[in-house]
Order: sequence, then C-alpha cells, then structure tokens
Amino acid sequence: MFMCFVVLLASCNESPYMQGKRLYAANCANCHMDDGSGLASLIPPLKSSKLIGDVSMACVIAYGIRDTIFRDSVFLPREMPSFTRLSETEVTNIINYVNHTWHNDFKETTILDVEAALKKCPK
Amino acid sequence: MKYKSLWLGCLALMVLLSCRQNAELPYLGQTTLQDGKTVHHKVGTFACYSQDSQLVDNAVLSQHIYVADFFFTSCPSICPRVIKEMMKINDRFKDEPMVKLVSFTIDPKRDDVARLKLYADNLGIDQSKWYFLTGDKDAVLDLANTFFVPAFEDKDAPGGFDHSGKIILVDKEGHVRSFSEGTDPETTPKLLDDIQTLVDTYKKATK
Repeated sequence: MFMCFVVLLASCNESPYMQGKRLYAANCANCHMDDGSGLASLIPPLKSSKLIGDVSMACVIAYGIRDTIFRDSVFLPREMPSFTRLSETEVTNIINYVNHTWHNDFKETTILDVEAALKKCPK
Repeated sequence: MKYKSLWLGCLALMVLLSCRQNAELPYLGQTTLQDGKTVHHKVGTFACYSQDSQLVDNAVLSQHIYVADFFFTSCPSICPRVIKEMMKINDRFKDEPMVKLVSFTIDPKRDDVARLKLYADNLGIDQSKWYFLTGDKDAVLDLANTFFVPAFEDKDAPGGFDHSGKIILVDKEGHVRSFSEGTDPETTPKLLDDIQTLVDTYKKATK
C-alpha cells in the first residue's frame, strides 16, 4: 500500500522525460521560457509552433534558425543558435519533453527517428 | 490572565503593522558624508535617444521612478528572459504613470533608433512607458557600472558582450533602491513589492 502511494506520488510530480526537462532548462528556457511562452512575436510560443510534433524539430535544435525581421531598410535578427554540441540522444530527449509538455497529440520520438531526420536536414 | 494575553497579542500586532507602514526601501551602494550630510549613491548621468528618437536623460526621468536593464537586440543568451521579467513589471504597473521602464542597449553600433523601434513594436508594449535607449557605447558601458550591472565587450561571449541581467529600481532622485535578478523569475515578486512600496512612499509624501 505504502509503495503504491510512493509510486503514485512520484508519477504525479515528475515528467516522464526528466533528462529532456533538464536539457531544456539548460539550453532552451532562456529564450523559450520555462513555460514555453517565448517573447511576444520575437520568440513565438512553442505550443503554436509548426514544429511541435514534427521530427524536423531535430534540425532546428541541431542547426538553429536564421531568420530576420525586415521593415523598410531596418532589420532585426531573429535567430536561434545551433546546438551541435548536443548528442542525438539529448536532442531526442528534448524533443520528447517539448512534445509531451506542449503538443496535444503526443507521440514518442525515438533516437532512430532523430538520426534519420538529421540526415535530411537542409544545409 | 486570558485578557492579558489578548492585550499583549493586540500590542504585538500594532507594533508589527506600524513597522510595516513605515517600511522604507534601503539606499543601495556606497554612502558618503559631505559637509556633514549623508549622500547616497546615484546612477551616472546619461543622455540617450529612445526608440521614438526622443532625447531621454536623467532630467526626463526625474519625475518618475524607473526600472532599468542593460541588453542588446541580438543577444542570444540571457536577454529574452530579462525582457520577459521587465514585461511582467510593465503589466503590473501599466496604469501607474509614476513608473517607467528603461532598457539601455550595450550594443549601440547595431542597435540604432530604428532597430530599437522595430524591437519594441515586436514586443507589443506601451512605448510611452518603456524607453529603449541607445547612445555612446563606452558611455553606456560605464553607466552600467553605476547601476551595479557589469557590462563589457567580450569576443568570446555569446553575441560579443558579457553582462549581468539585473533589473535595477531607481527612485526620482537617481538612487538605487532595489533590484532583481532578471534571469531568475523567482526574484521578480519581491521587486514588484518594492516598486509598490516606493510608489506609496512618494504618494504619501505629496499628501
């Protein structure tokens, strides 16, 4: 009975993707924020991102995004840095944490999915 | 005996409440004595242009209390999180005209007036309340020190600048009265309380 209670308590408090959560906090949260809300239109919220639930998120995490906001002759960089130092396992863990937290139709991504996606990234 | 405890309880409550009402924010930084008078640390003088090409200097802000941070628009590290905390302050005091927000760019070479305007427009904030300021780079880096914010060029740092994410509360006289760590959202509620305390102090003084 006691063990059941302990297991139940643990399952209530912890995301099943704890390494992903830690990696997200260390690498992503400064820009995307802890709650994934981003920063107005400069960093759009993850929940409504086209990449949520899409394995090509692996390319964005690994190689970043080069984007610029233009108005007349003025420009504002809206770039996401690359994280080539992260291993495929770490990228997979981040994707699973992000999708599990902010995607309504969560399906687990495997390392094999990520490896395949990374081979197809646009260079 | 029963009544004695009750009276003691009431007395303790009154003392606590009176302490709370008189609570004033401390003056941060070095205090010196000049001609027998106590002189508190003040932030440095500045004259910068805002996102609307308005000249903003110490005199313009002397009618307001303000929170300040040091950032740059292409900052890939801590700035978004700090600006997010500034947005919380902006939301909380949007109807309090005494409070202003000031974000100094430490990269004025790239962050000119037009780029700061584009940045502010994309934040979707009330730009009559929140100034994004650009000026001379060396002057701004020196100014940051007077706000107790270390900021310097470092080619090895992300974006080319190393700086702290502190958010500093400055009173109408230019004294530093409180701060939060902009990178730690848990320190923001205390700063929000301190801003309210300072607003209340000025309002009480004018009554």
